[in-house]
Amino acid sequence: MLERLESIKELGLKKIKETETLDQLQEVRRELTGKKGELTAVLKSLGSLEPEMRKTVGMRANEIKNHFAEKIQEREDEIVENQSALDEEIDLTLPGNAVSQGALHPITQMQYDLNDAFLSLGFEIFSEDDISSELFAFDNLNFPPDHPARQSMDTYWIEGTEDKQGAERLCLRPHLTGGSVRYLREHGAPARFVYPGRVYRNENTDARHERAFYQYEALIVDKDLSFSSGKVMIQALLEKVFGRKVNVRMREGFFPFTEPGYEIDMECQVCHGKGCRVCNQNGWIEVAPGGVINPNVVRAAGLDPDVYTGFYTNIGLDRFVMMRYGIDDVRFFHSTDLRFFEQFK
Amino acid sequence: MKVSLNWVKKYVDLPEDLTPKQISFDLTMRTVEVEDVIDTSEKFHDIVVGKILEVKEHPNADQLRVCIVECGEDEPKQIVCGGSNLYEGEMVVVSKPGAEVFWHGEDSLVKIKESKLRGVPSYGMICGATEVYLESYFPLEDEHMIVDLSDVDCEVGQNVSEIIGMNDVVFDIDNKSLTNRPDLWGHYGIARELAAIYKCPLKPLPEAELPKDLPEYRIDVESPEKCPRYAALEIENVCEKPAPIWMQTALLNAGMRPINAIVDITNYIMLSVGQPTHGFDRTHVDGSHIIVRNAKKDEKLTLLDHALLDLTEEDLVICDEHDPMALAGIRGGIKDSILPETTGVVIEVATFTAGTIRQTGKRFDEKTDASIRYEKGLDTQRVDQGIAMAAKLFREIFPESKIVAFGDVDPTPTTRNEIDVTQEFLDVRLGKALPSEEILDILTRLGYDVTLTDGTYHCVVPTYRSTGDVSVKDDVLGDIARVYCYENFEMKPLPVNFEHAVRQPKEQLDRKIREYLAFRCGFNEIFTYPWIDEKYIQAAKIDTSEAIRLATPPAPELAILRQSLIPGMLEAAVKNLRYYDEFRVFEMAQTFHKGEYHESCEEEILPVHKKLLSGIIVGRDAKKDFFDVKGVLESMSRFCHMEDLTFKQKEKPSWADDKVYLNVFHKGKNIGSLGQVSVQAMNAAGISRTQVAFFELNFDEMIPLNSRTNEFHHLPQYPLVEQDLSILVDESVKWHDVSEAIRHMVKKYEFIEEYRGKQIPEGKKSLVFRVWIGNDDSTMTSKQIDKKMAAVMKSLQKKCGAALREE
Repeated sequence: MLERLESIKELGLKKIKETETLDQLQEVRRELTGKKGELTAVLKSLGSLEPEMRKTVGMRANEIKNHFAEKIQEREDEIVENQSALDEEIDLTLPGNAVSQGALHPITQMQYDLNDAFLSLGFEIFSEDDISSELFAFDNLNFPPDHPARQSMDTYWIEGTEDKQGAERLCLRPHLTGGSVRYLREHGAPARFVYPGRVYRNENTDARHERAFYQYEALIVDKDLSFSSGKVMIQALLEKVFGRKVNVRMREGFFPFTEPGYEIDMECQVCHGKGCRVCNQNGWIEVAPGGVINPNVVRAAGLDPDVYTGFYTNIGLDRFVMMRYGIDDVRFFHSTDLRFFEQFK
Repeated sequence: MKVSLNWVKKYVDLPEDLTPKQISFDLTMRTVEVEDVIDTSEKFHDIVVGKILEVKEHPNADQLRVCIVECGEDEPKQIVCGGSNLYEGEMVVVSKPGAEVFWHGEDSLVKIKESKLRGVPSYGMICGATEVYLESYFPLEDEHMIVDLSDVDCEVGQNVSEIIGMNDVVFDIDNKSLTNRPDLWGHYGIARELAAIYKCPLKPLPEAELPKDLPEYRIDVESPEKCPRYAALEIENVCEKPAPIWMQTALLNAGMRPINAIVDITNYIMLSVGQPTHGFDRTHVDGSHIIVRNAKKDEKLTLLDHALLDLTEEDLVICDEHDPMALAGIRGGIKDSILPETTGVVIEVATFTAGTIRQTGKRFDEKTDASIRYEKGLDTQRVDQGIAMAAKLFREIFPESKIVAFGDVDPTPTTRNEIDVTQEFLDVRLGKALPSEEILDILTRLGYDVTLTDGTYHCVVPTYRSTGDVSVKDDVLGDIARVYCYENFEMKPLPVNFEHAVRQPKEQLDRKIREYLAFRCGFNEIFTYPWIDEKYIQAAKIDTSEAIRLATPPAPELAILRQSLIPGMLEAAVKNLRYYDEFRVFEMAQTFHKGEYHESCEEEILPVHKKLLSGIIVGRDAKKDFFDVKGVLESMSRFCHMEDLTFKQKEKPSWADDKVYLNVFHKGKNIGSLGQVSVQAMNAAGISRTQVAFFELNFDEMIPLNSRTNEFHHLPQYPLVEQDLSILVDESVKWHDVSEAIRHMVKKYEFIEEYRGKQIPEGKKSLVFRVWIGNDDSTMTSKQIDKKMAAVMKSLQKKCGAALREE
């Protein structure tokens, strides 16, 4: 009998050792120590043995049972320690599951970056409608009556109004600046606001020219402002957009709605001012025309130019975005081609 | 405009150490944008004057000669040459090794190397005029001739650019930056700016020296409102000959081709002082009488090529006693040309108003060097400069010539603007108090006459800035600021305002919606043009009777401005289906509709604008795509924090499928739709083998919540019980009916699936959904659960005729 016990033990320990999963171990546990197990059978048959033998065999059988329990527990700990969440093999180099795949238009993204910067400086956002009139697009802005931009070669006039004048002659707005007078008429001064949007010019398109393009204009109107504050504002903005300090310079420029007017150049971000093909070898790139609001425009907005002054700046968003990503054809922006847009997630 | 530095230096002594780069920078910062700086001598590198010491036969070629040439090197060089006019002692043009020349028959420049010609070594090349940019100075008599410099003032070894004045620097100025400055359209104007920038003296122009008691040349100005001044000089004893080298070079460097001395003088005057002048052959002026008038009805101008220009009564013409000779200030006709037999000329120096030149120029689509200048608005006093220069130049270039008559009609001289500017105004707006000496100096150098009394500058603007350029005190401030240079003003930060935090919920909603669609729903944002190809408008069956159209559209089929974004979406779908099977795009933009709307004032009547939000899901599974779109809109209110939208089928959009569409409502108002694009519309647009689900909403009717409206609820203390129900109902029963039947009875419910199949009887369908039930104050017992579920089923049975589906 004892020999049988020893062989049960030996076989049992081997089986425990051979188990690899908790399920197998559970199976072995039932087999070795369960009600229908061999050891239990031995214990049940103790009654038929000599009392002397009964004691010895009983003790030994219980010892073995405890030993089994101990080993099973050990094995269980081992298995758990080495257990994986996955039974099967896994190729860890397979790609992860894709996250939702949309994107904002790169111009919208740039606009939001600028909005964030301007909002932090206390500017409001204003939108003018796409169709405007000669009154707001030209007359109010001090464009001379025979300015070429008023002609149909330059501006998209609305059918049926093209031969009228002023408030009755309607167009797709050729620039955003007309919106400044609308805002000031409604809200008065002092004011600081931005008015981003799309503008339209009747021209032939190529890699650098579009019929519809985006501008981002900002205007501050207040008492006793000096024009040099405009440069500070631009510097702050570029820093926000490019994530580092960008050198800017302010030079003479002319626009009917400003006096004085200026061009703001930024240091070429490709060559850092040394001169390269992108900046036509001069180290600077024109980014934002601007200037002090012309007194005639202040007057058109219903304000007294002896009290109020202000300054504009107008950023060409298309150009800015092209600089940001190195895009070489402005026509991509209206292409609706997802092979292009998917690059700007 | 191209500006020659040598030319400018005739009028101003610039500091010696000033580099062209510095001038370019200072002009750009303070006056006009210099786009490029060109060294005109560069193309003449290694092209020098040589002297032929000896001419020998070539041992192997009859047409070639072997020359020994002194050309400034250590020793004379041997050069093989085929020129027909070689002689000992001749001064010639030598291209040394490294020089780049036009070789006979080659398209591009060829670099000279030492080589052998027919076995004889040759150092370089003795050049003909066409080989080295000299053809206008030394016209060829035959193509085998080389340039003979023996009569030209030059030295052996001297660079050829120097003898023709090509050792110059040219500034290429962006014309756009000159539009407001008629005074800068000549070299004298640029010289005046440089004199102000570098504070050095500007030299005066020559005064008119006309012979006394000249007979009057008869001029009648019949349209004085278009011609404020007209002067004419009649000069005899001139001929058609080339202009001197210095003048040819000056014109070439300023971007103009030399023609003959008479024409070149008129161009030279224009490029010097910005005053266009014009030369007529005096025998062509019938009656020796110039009349400036509007053209008559049906009158024509004969052009050089005998073509006829149909004039209108609004065009100003220069006429003799019979016919128009020239379109005033724009171009001449056949009658005004200078011919080989010309011996006398009438030189016109006149002022025409900007408006008339622009209108006529536009009518005939003509832009000339003269008309560009007139369009900017010229002062009448400039005519004096033109007359003086003409008299001087004709005397110099045609010493035998004689001025025989002079006429000058000056009905409306340009008046000088007078502007008062206070020191206080300047201090505040400049943000810096400049000393009055500085201000007086800048303005005086620019040509103003200024007097300072009690802190007020009384500025009398020069005539050449009084034609619209400088008219108010801000213009004077601009002149001071730019010449002082914007870079020299300290930066003043903006004042900070703490009183008024920006709060614009609608602007925020616009952004939230775009970000929601892009980041949560997988849409790509696109931009389409507001003008839409009619093909797609017709495909979407949109009624265009209320559409706004462009007067001059980009293309005939692009005249209609969009009333909906859907046609643009269809076009985008067509384009992208070439590369993708499934995709989602959206756009938010304005659309245009006939109507009346005042954005800012009563007198301005604009069409109605609607800002629409539109998107499409392109894919293969119409049903899935439709419910995807619906899901996007259902969750939009919550995720974007705006007032709720509801959905109901009411009014089919013209492009939608008959069956698969819903309208979207906000507070009972129909604000848009969603659905599948009809098969017919897709076919018409050119979309096949795919499905397009769409939505379009009026953003103007979407209302942002004032603040977040999420509410906190305590977490349930007792667990909810989750039960799945599978019921059978008639086809006509909608999910809406089922949810109405149970929504008040359960804590929460959720649709799982709809099923039709073998096990389901005809005309019926199975709906599977999950409900959550529970008590507020205890855990549900199984008895309570059974009772509740029985009640739910009873309600379903009563309201929807539902039966529990047997598994």
